[in-house]
Amino acid sequence: MTSGIGCRDLVVRAGGRTVLDVPSLEVVAGTTLAVLGRNGAGKSTLLRALALLAAEREGTVLLDGTPATRQRVRTAVAAVLQRPVVRRGSVRHNVASGLLLRGHGRAKAHAAAAAWMDRLGIAHLAEQQARSLSGGERQRVALARALAVRPRVLLLDEPFAGLDATTRTDFVADLRAVLDDPGLATVLVTHDRDEAAALAGCTALLVDGRLRQVGPTSSVLDHPADADCARLVGFANVLSPELTGLRRTVVCRPEHAVVSAAAPTRKGALVVAGRLVRIVPLGGITRVDVTAGRDGDVALSGLVAGEVPAPLRAEEPGAAVSVSFAHQHLRDVPA
Amino acid sequence: MDVLVEGFVEAWRLLVSGDEGIWAVTALTLQISLAAAALAVLLGVPLGAAVALHRFWGRRLVLAAANTGFGLPPVVVGLFVTVLLWRSGPLGFLGLLYTPLAMVVAQAVIATPVVVALAATALQQVDPDFRPQMEALGATRARSFAALLGEARLPLLAASMAGFGAVVSEVGAAIMVGGNIEGETRVLTTAAVLATNRGQFALAIALGLVLLLLAFGVNLVLTFVQQRESLR
Repeated sequence: MTSGIGCRDLVVRAGGRTVLDVPSLEVVAGTTLAVLGRNGAGKSTLLRALALLAAEREGTVLLDGTPATRQRVRTAVAAVLQRPVVRRGSVRHNVASGLLLRGHGRAKAHAAAAAWMDRLGIAHLAEQQARSLSGGERQRVALARALAVRPRVLLLDEPFAGLDATTRTDFVADLRAVLDDPGLATVLVTHDRDEAAALAGCTALLVDGRLRQVGPTSSVLDHPADADCARLVGFANVLSPELTGLRRTVVCRPEHAVVSAAAPTRKGALVVAGRLVRIVPLGGITRVDVTAGRDGDVALSGLVAGEVPAPLRAEEPGAAVSVSFAHQHLRDVPA
Repeated sequence: MDVLVEGFVEAWRLLVSGDEGIWAVTALTLQISLAAAALAVLLGVPLGAAVALHRFWGRRLVLAAANTGFGLPPVVVGLFVTVLLWRSGPLGFLGLLYTPLAMVVAQAVIATPVVVALAATALQQVDPDFRPQMEALGATRARSFAALLGEARLPLLAASMAGFGAVVSEVGAAIMVGGNIEGETRVLTTAAVLATNRGQFALAIALGLVLLLLAFGVNLVLTFVQQRESLR
């Protein structure tokens, strides 16, 4: 029997509409699965369904390979929902409350709470009111509270949402250490591929409530299964055969697309003609948006470090430009 | 003006001298109003929770009815409870009319809608993800509900205070279903009405002052608890 969490033919409907349809999924102990998807793709719904919290649910949630009951999920699983819901009272009380809610004694709950507050760097906040904390501190409290119950399955919904860059980096590092526990199966819901790359060995891509691709994170992030998956993992340039004259649709990341005002001369590159839309300085990097295609309906973009070269900088929107994509950075996807 | 001054002086003398009649009426008032408020909380909080947390047909109707209950005339409640408990009425066989229990029932009917409406508001103000998050940590439904009540304990306390306030000061229902029988169903409000009608203004003022002190005292205790909690 495989230890961990999964599902079979899991379907969730809301208002008569199917918002999640996952035929099969398995996350074994000692591994972390990142579920990557845009807003509204069904990520949180999947997480809640696995925790048996979704109302209109069909199919089976599997715990250790067998159908999960509410009682078994209660003892094995802990989930941290997207907004960190903290209770009235101190941080210590909050972190201990998971165990107290499971019926454990105060002494055991507070001992476990102290250990996890220490490990997640919030011990100095123990006596503070949890509601007075910043977003990042609240996230840590919510995570410590979930970990204090020693779950075998940890479900995390966007744990880094709304955190500033420094707080996020520190938190990712601390979480990384926690997720290395060989007995812990983790599902991490996120819309950020960097978080998936940092924390998860496997990644699943969720588009419109359906899993389009599941596999090792490095493979999923570098070899998307289709155009939707490609856009989701950052291959913003989707080039159809009509545009390129190639037999298959190819995709490329903006950081590997070079926009230039001059006629293209790059060898070993696919070159597409287009018209300049705008040049957007993003602080340290600059994004160049271009339209291409017969009707000008294909949006392309390129990223350059620093400022764009002078000839392109002088161009007005609507000017003819070329976008070149080095062949080694192109990926084939089904049309 | 003299009547008023003399009234206050005499009222003060009655209170200080520990007039037995006044304290007996006060004790009964407390018993009846606290029992009615407790009954209203026992009925009103679960009903308010049902309205706040579940979607069912007629939910808005219940909430609108509860809100209407804020303005429910005690006389109307008194009338219906009297008719129900009347010797030939549907519940006449219980023989409850003109007993303290009948007053508790009538006052609970007055206070319950107030508690329902305020409890529903109190629970709706808690994060909608509160219970799912508690259950996601391993709480049973019962424990997550208890945690929710704990989370909303301050506004729930306010709902209880409002319920008590609604009954301790009402006179219409108390006089109709209790009958204002001396030593049995006479409470501060009904006694004050009677004393006023008889022209015993000093006694009426004394009773009124006790009523005010009583309402203030109970609310003071609850407010202290509430404020101490809110600082935590």
